[in-house]
Amino acid sequence: MTVTPAAMWALAIAMAVTNLVFRLGPIALLSRVRLPLPVERWLSFVPASVMSALVATEVLHPQGRWMLPWQNIYVFAAIPTALVYWKTKSFLGASVTGMVAFLALRYFVG
Amino acid sequence: MRLGMPVFLGYLPVGAAFGVVATAAGTGIAAAVGCSGLVLAGAGQFIGLQLLKGAAGLATAILATAVVNLRYVLFSATMSPYLRETPWYRQLFIAFTLTDETFAINITDSRAGLSDDWSKLGVGFISWVGWTAGTALGAAATAMIGDPSKWGVDFALPAMFTALLVAQVTERRYAVVAVVAAASALALATVLPGEWPVIAGAIGAATVGALMYR
Repeated sequence: MTVTPAAMWALAIAMAVTNLVFRLGPIALLSRVRLPLPVERWLSFVPASVMSALVATEVLHPQGRWMLPWQNIYVFAAIPTALVYWKTKSFLGASVTGMVAFLALRYFVG
Repeated sequence: MRLGMPVFLGYLPVGAAFGVVATAAGTGIAAAVGCSGLVLAGAGQFIGLQLLKGAAGLATAILATAVVNLRYVLFSATMSPYLRETPWYRQLFIAFTLTDETFAINITDSRAGLSDDWSKLGVGFISWVGWTAGTALGAAATAMIGDPSKWGVDFALPAMFTALLVAQVTERRYAVVAVVAAASALALATVLPGEWPVIAGAIGAATVGALMYR
C-alpha cells in the first residue's frame, strides 16, 4: 500500500512531539532535583548494559538472523574494532578499522 | 567532530536507506526528509513507515512508534545529572538530538570528564545533519545509488557500539553487568521481536547491577 505524503507528515509530527517529550522531559525535570541514591546507582549501570545488549544482538544476531559465531563475519570484525579502541581510545579509528575489516572479511570469506 | 564523525558516517547510509524506502512507498521527498529532520529516530521511523505501508491506521503507527521510542526516557534520565548547569535552550537541542548513538557517545565522554555543552551540541548537530542529509540523498537518488552496503556501512554502527562498549567497561562491576546484559538480550532475542530484547535485557541487567553493588 502506498503511503501518502499527508500520512507521512502526520506521523512525523506526532513522532516529533512524543520524542521531544520523552527526550526532554527527564532532562528538564531531573536536572533540577537530586535523584535518590539507588536511582542514580541504577542509572550508572544503564550505559554499559545498553551498549552490551546492542553489541550482542547486532553482532551475534545481525539483521535478526542467527549465525554460528565462527561463520559470522560480524564477530570477526568486532574483535579488531574493540582492540583498536582499547589501544588508541579513538572512536573514528575503531569504526574505520571495523568497516575495513568487515569489507575484507566479506570479500575473502563471503 | 572527533566524536561526531563516526555517527555521521553511520547515519548517512541508514538515513539514505530511510529516504529510499519512504519515497519508494510513495511519501514524496519532502515528507521523507521532513520526517527525518523532525524526528531523528532510526528504528522508530522505519517501524512507523512499515506500519503505514501495511495499512495500519495512523493511530496504531503513532502508538507503536511511541513504545519503540520510550527508551529515550531512560537515556534522558541517565543524561540528566550531567546537564544540571546547562541552560534550558541548550538542554532543548541536546534533548532533540538524543539518540542511541549520541547518548552512547555523550555519556561515555561525560563519565570521562571530557564532555561539555559544546561537545554535546556538536555531536547532536553532526548527527542531525548526517541523518537528514542521508535521507535527502536517498530520497533524491532512489534509483541511482545502488546498494550502500557495498561500502561496508553495514558495520559502521555495530563498530561504533563495540568501541563504546569497550569505553564503558572501566571497572569490574560494569563488565559483570555487560555480560549479564549481553546474555539476557540474546536469550530474549529468541522470543521477542525488534528492539525489545535490547531494551528488556538492558533494564534487567542494570537492575541486577544496582542490586549486586550497593
